[in-house]
Amino acid sequence: MQRQRKQFNTINAASLARWIVITAFVAVTGLIYVYLTVQLYHLGDRKKELERQLVNVRAENDVAQVQIAALTSRSALQRRLKEGYLKMIPIAEQSIVRLNTPAEVSSENAIQPVVNQRAGR
Amino acid sequence: MKWNSRIRCALVCLIFTGLFSVFSFRLVYLQMVKHDEYAGLAAEKHVYKQSIYAERGAILDANGEVLAHNVPGETIVADATHVNDAARLAPVLAETLGLPQNEVSEKLSGGRRYIVLKRQVPQATAVALREKLRTDNLRGVYFERDSTRVYPNGSMLCHVIGFTDFDHKGIQGIESSMEEYLHGQNGYRYVEHNRAGQEIVLYRGQERAPRDGYGVHLTVDLNLQNIVENEIDAAMREYRPQKATIILMRPQTGEILAMANRPNFDLKDRAEAKPEQMKNRAIIDMMEPGSTFKIVTAACALNEKKVRPDSVIFCENGLWNYGGRALHDHKPYGDMTVQDILIKSSNVGAAKLALSVGEQKFYEYIRRFGFGERTGIELPGEIPGVVHPPRAWSKISITRIPMGHEVGVTPLQMTLAMAAIANGGKLVTPRIVKSVTTADGQTVSTFTPTVLRQVISPETAQQIGSALRGVVSDRGTAAAAAVPGFTICGKTGTAQKVSPQGGYEHGKYVVSFSGYMPAERPEFVALVVLDDAKTKAELNYGGTVAAPIFSRIAEKAARYLDLEPHEELRKPLRATQVALTESARR
Repeated sequence: MQRQRKQFNTINAASLARWIVITAFVAVTGLIYVYLTVQLYHLGDRKKELERQLVNVRAENDVAQVQIAALTSRSALQRRLKEGYLKMIPIAEQSIVRLNTPAEVSSENAIQPVVNQRAGR
Repeated sequence: MKWNSRIRCALVCLIFTGLFSVFSFRLVYLQMVKHDEYAGLAAEKHVYKQSIYAERGAILDANGEVLAHNVPGETIVADATHVNDAARLAPVLAETLGLPQNEVSEKLSGGRRYIVLKRQVPQATAVALREKLRTDNLRGVYFERDSTRVYPNGSMLCHVIGFTDFDHKGIQGIESSMEEYLHGQNGYRYVEHNRAGQEIVLYRGQERAPRDGYGVHLTVDLNLQNIVENEIDAAMREYRPQKATIILMRPQTGEILAMANRPNFDLKDRAEAKPEQMKNRAIIDMMEPGSTFKIVTAACALNEKKVRPDSVIFCENGLWNYGGRALHDHKPYGDMTVQDILIKSSNVGAAKLALSVGEQKFYEYIRRFGFGERTGIELPGEIPGVVHPPRAWSKISITRIPMGHEVGVTPLQMTLAMAAIANGGKLVTPRIVKSVTTADGQTVSTFTPTVLRQVISPETAQQIGSALRGVVSDRGTAAAAAVPGFTICGKTGTAQKVSPQGGYEHGKYVVSFSGYMPAERPEFVALVVLDDAKTKAELNYGGTVAAPIFSRIAEKAARYLDLEPHEELRKPLRATQVALTESARR
């Protein structure tokens, strides 16, 4: 009796490998998709947070500008001057050095102007 | 027919095919035909159009000092469909925002998707509310960027700057007239919310960035404005007039350097202001100008070559009957030159000058000087004044109008007329806006000086100028307007106050002084007007009340503008030598 040859189911290694690669690729692609989607959500949240911070910084900047404007306004400076926090000394006429050409008095200025005594009030 | 397996199989296939075809058709119908409708319904449920508010532009003076600015705040809004617990939310909102609880509850129960709870909420309050909502797990309340308009200088320049309403719309002054530039353009963004009401940034839809309002730079110099404000306050204390106006202008360009009115109001506390305090009297108040108007009369006669500056006119010894009515001078003047008519301010002389040119020509010159029409300044509510045409004149109008009666002018028009004299006869359009810029400083628009017309020839302007120098001298009516070291041209005015009921109010006067300095190269024109100054009757004149105010302003302005005084004019005559009580009356 002829010895019966043992039957083997051959595995097509190439095909198996191909399927493994395809499956792995699909799985990895899926994972990457999920990962990237989650990342996008996180980045979106981060973006919103940064936007909020930027708005806050701008707001703080605006508040600071308004405070500067208020503190350097004429009324505030005059109040401080009255309260004695600021000292101002008028510059005497003889202390002023002018670089521009002095205006000439035309011959029409024959009329002598007068001193206004009340102006010095 | 035998129902063999093949037929049964075909039948099943057919049924499935039909079934799936129906499904497919339905799917195509829903996804393609009804796509927009259902997408809209879905979006309505989750998508929300978020407004991104543009910031209102700032108002700045000529040197870039801030006159009006914004302080950030937030607008608190609610979406009633997102509110998870209205009963708990209402008291939290009411307490934090300082609103009546029943009002908040009523708003939230309406089912509306956009409910404005409170505007202009300070940042600190908004942060506190946000924290409370988070800890109490309350939903449906949103925060939108907003701002509050602030005016750091309070009452200074209040009539010019104006103010905005609660919706940030300008309703007075520059805030109103430059609204187009200041308000900017709001942006928007379509956002989606999750169930918790939080934005899903990934699904942001269409978006348009806001464009902030442009900055408006005025021609007003706050330093000069401060000088004017201090002097007008001093005048209010000293003379307690009903109203007062001071204008400072650069004659060559028409730039308004300062403009102040009394009564005024505090822009920080504008809700308390009365309507009378809010009027910019420089452009909306009409007055009879009095003798300052004689510059128009003299300019007309000189420009028409009817007279020369040295032509002699008989002034009827101070009393002239014309048209059945007497016209008086304050002194019995006899023969006077045209120049002296201005220097001494003779009413009879002015009337005769007007008669020499005739009604029609005189009227034409009045109009050419800009009276009877709006000047076109960038401020709202300006009035044109009243100048009747000759056909409406009475027989004596030709003798009354030359001395500034029977015409209604605004202080700004009077300033412009004087500026035309200072400017060699050129009438310019007044400007209070210098330029418009973007937030990063790029110029959007520049308002260039505009010469409206050549009213009189440069020679005539020079002749008038020479006469006006004499007014501010020991011979003239405005000796008190003098500033040591400078030559000044000017004209006083004293007009009896017009009664709203008709006629004139006894013992009440509108006193004024209009002048420019230095006479050789005018740097500024100024007008001082005081309505019903409380002073002794013998001192209630333009030369004694308004002229000294001009002098003080001019002296300080000259220092600020670094105008060099003439050494030879440094030691002038003393004003006490001038008979103020007599010659300075008119």
